[in-house]
Amino acid sequence: MLRALGILCLGLAGAFGLHLVVSNAVPPYPALIVNMCGISIILAISLNVINGLTGQFSLGHAGFMAIGAYVSAYFTTTLRYFDPDAARYISEAPLFDGLWGFPPALLAGGIAAALAGLIVGIPTLRLKGDYLAIATLGFGEIVSILLSNFRAVGGTKGLTSIPGYADTFWIYGSAATCLILTGFLQRSTFGRALIAVRENELAAEVMGINAARMKITAFVYGAFFAGVAGGLFGHLMLTISPANFGYMKSVEVVVMLVLGGLGSSTGAVVGALILTVLPEALRDVERQVELSGFRMALYALLLVVMMLFRPQGIFGQRELSLKLLRRLLPSRDKPGRQP
Amino acid sequence: MRKALAAVALLAVSLATACGTKIGPGHDDKEVHLGLFVSTSGEIATFGEDTKKGVELAVEEINAAGGIKGKKIKLTHYDTASKPEEGKAAATKLATQDNVFVAMGAVASGISLAAAPEFQKYGIPMVSPSSTNPTVTQQGNYIFRVCYLDDFQGAACAAFAQNDLKAKKAAILQNQDDAYSTGLSDFFEARFKKAGGEIVAKESYKKGTSDFNTQVTNIKAKSPDVVFLPCYYNDAALIAQQCRAQGLNVPLLGGDGWESDKLVPNAKGALEGCYFGNHYAEADANPKVVAFVEAYRKKYGNAPSSLAALGYDVVYVVKKAIEDAGEFDRAKVRDALAKLKGYEGVTGKFDIDENRDARKSISMLKIEGEKFRFVRQINPSEVE
Repeated sequence: MLRALGILCLGLAGAFGLHLVVSNAVPPYPALIVNMCGISIILAISLNVINGLTGQFSLGHAGFMAIGAYVSAYFTTTLRYFDPDAARYISEAPLFDGLWGFPPALLAGGIAAALAGLIVGIPTLRLKGDYLAIATLGFGEIVSILLSNFRAVGGTKGLTSIPGYADTFWIYGSAATCLILTGFLQRSTFGRALIAVRENELAAEVMGINAARMKITAFVYGAFFAGVAGGLFGHLMLTISPANFGYMKSVEVVVMLVLGGLGSSTGAVVGALILTVLPEALRDVERQVELSGFRMALYALLLVVMMLFRPQGIFGQRELSLKLLRRLLPSRDKPGRQP
Repeated sequence: MRKALAAVALLAVSLATACGTKIGPGHDDKEVHLGLFVSTSGEIATFGEDTKKGVELAVEEINAAGGIKGKKIKLTHYDTASKPEEGKAAATKLATQDNVFVAMGAVASGISLAAAPEFQKYGIPMVSPSSTNPTVTQQGNYIFRVCYLDDFQGAACAAFAQNDLKAKKAAILQNQDDAYSTGLSDFFEARFKKAGGEIVAKESYKKGTSDFNTQVTNIKAKSPDVVFLPCYYNDAALIAQQCRAQGLNVPLLGGDGWESDKLVPNAKGALEGCYFGNHYAEADANPKVVAFVEAYRKKYGNAPSSLAALGYDVVYVVKKAIEDAGEFDRAKVRDALAKLKGYEGVTGKFDIDENRDARKSISMLKIEGEKFRFVRQINPSEVE
C-alpha cells in the first residue's frame, strides 16, 4: 500500500516536472499535441480495462467522455451557489472556480460517467460480443441525442467559453494516476479475475468468480476515467458540443487499443501516442505534396501496414516494464552479482 | 527521491527565466503570410474544398495583380478533418509556428469556436467565411465573419413568407440534431409570430431519417400556407417528394443549406416553384459576380457554390482591411476590419457591425426547372 502511494506520488511529481518543461520551454503547438496525447492515453488505458482485460467489446467510450466533459464544464462555468431563501444565485463567479475548483469538477465528471456506466452496465453486460458492442454504441448515441435536446447545456451548439484549466499537470497527473492504478489492478487478484473472465467466463464462474460483478466493476472503472478524460478535453478545447462525442470518437479509441495491443496498458499508451501524433505529424507532408486529403489517406495506409505486420498489436498482450527492458538491453550487471 | 525533487526544483528555476511565446510579424519585404484552416477531409469535406477553391482563386488574382500593397500573398492551408480538436491544433500551428498575419476559417462553427481562442490569445485577426453560430465572434475582438447569421437568415425567410408569399399560417420541419436547423427554425418562428403570423405545426426529425411521412401527415392536417424546411439539400429533396406524394402542394421554403447541384435532380421535380435564401445568386447581373463566376468556371470547370463565393470574399476583405489600415500591423488591420462599411463583395454589400458580424442582404431564389431564378434581396433593415 505504502509502495503504491510512493509510486503514485512519483507519477504526480513526474507530471509536475513535465508540466514545468512544457509550460516554459515548449512552443504552444507541440505543447498542445503533448496535452492531447495525455487525454488519449487516459481514454485508451481506461477502455483497455473493459475491452482488453475483461474482453468485453464496448463502443460507448465517447458517451462516457461526453458525460464527464459536460458535467465538469457545467461545474466550472454555470454552477453557482444558490441561496434558497432569496431564490437567487449569490455569487457572480462559478462555484468551482480556479485552481481548487477544477479537481472537484473533474472528479464530479468522472463520478457522473461512472454512475452512467453502472446504470448502463447492469442490463447490457448480460450481452456478449457483438450484442454488447451494439448496445454500447446505442448508449453513446443516446447521450449525444439527449445533450442535443437539452437547452440548459446549449443544445446542439454546446457549451462555449469554458476556462482553460486543463494544463499539462492535470492531464498527465490524471494519466499517471490512471496508468498506475490500472497497473496495480492488473496484478491484483481482481485483475486476474478480469482476465479469467476474458479467457473463459464459464471456467471463471466455476472457480468462484462472480463474472457479472467483475464485468460491471471493470465497466464502471473504465467509465470513470473516460469521464475524467472528457472533463480534461473540455477544459483544453474550451468549447464542447455533442458532435465532438460521436461514435467515431469511440472507434478512434478502439483503434488505439488494437494498434497498441489489446490487453496491454502500456500498449494502449503507445497506441494513443501514435494515433494522436501521426495526423499532426503528417500535416507538413500534406503541405509539401499539395494534395488535400493526402494526410488522411496516408494515415489510413500506415494503419493497414502496421496491422498487416503485427495483427496482435505492437505489444500484443505484453506490458512494457522495467523488467522487460532489462531483459532486452544488454545487461551491465556482472555475472554472479544479484541484479 | 530527494535527489529527484531537487532536480525538479532546479529545472523549475532554470525554466522560469525562459521567455513567453513571441509571434513573428507574418510578413516580410516580398510576402504577406495568410493562413487558411478548413476541413478538406471528413464529413464536411465538400464545404471545405469549395471554400479553399474560392480562396485560392482570389489569392491567384491578387498575386497576378501585384499583391497587397506590393506584397504577394503566401497561403498556408491546414486541414481540420471536420474535428474541433484538429481545428484547434491547426490554429495553434498557424499562429505560433507559421506566424500568419491573418487567419481565415473555418466553415463549421464548432471548429471556428475551437480555433478562435488561439488567434485571440496571440492577437491575430481571424475571419471566418461561413460560420453562422452567433457565439463564434463573441470569442474575442479579433474574431470576424463575412457571412450572415442564422438569426437573420431565419427571420429573412419569415419576412419573405409573409411579404412575398402572403403566408399567414406556416409549418416548420426541423432536424433536431443539427444546430443550424434548430437555430434557423427558432428565429423563423419568432419573426413569423411577431409579425402576426401563426406557426400551425413544428415537427422534428432525427439526423439520418429518410421517411418523413408521419411529420408530413401532421403538417398537412393543419393546412399551412407555407412549409419552412431549415435543412440541407438531401433532406429537402426527400421531404419535398413526400409532401407532394401526400398532396401537400404549398410552397416550400429553405435556407442556404439547400444550395447544391444535386437539389433539383434529387427532388425529381418536387421542388418546382419553391424558394430558398442564399448568400449570392449565380444569375446576379452585378458585374463583380459575373466576373467571379466566369473566372471560377475557367479555373475549376463548374459553377461556384456559396461557400466558394464566401471564401473568395474573405481574401478580398482581408486585402481591403490591410489597405485601409495603411500598414502591416495586426492591431491596425483589426481596427480596419471592425470599421469596414459598405464593402461590395460577390456575396453582396455588407458592413461589419459592432459584434464583428457581417450585416448583409440575403438573396431569395426561386427554383424553376434546373435553374435558380433570382427573386429579390432582403436587407437587414427589412426584418428588424
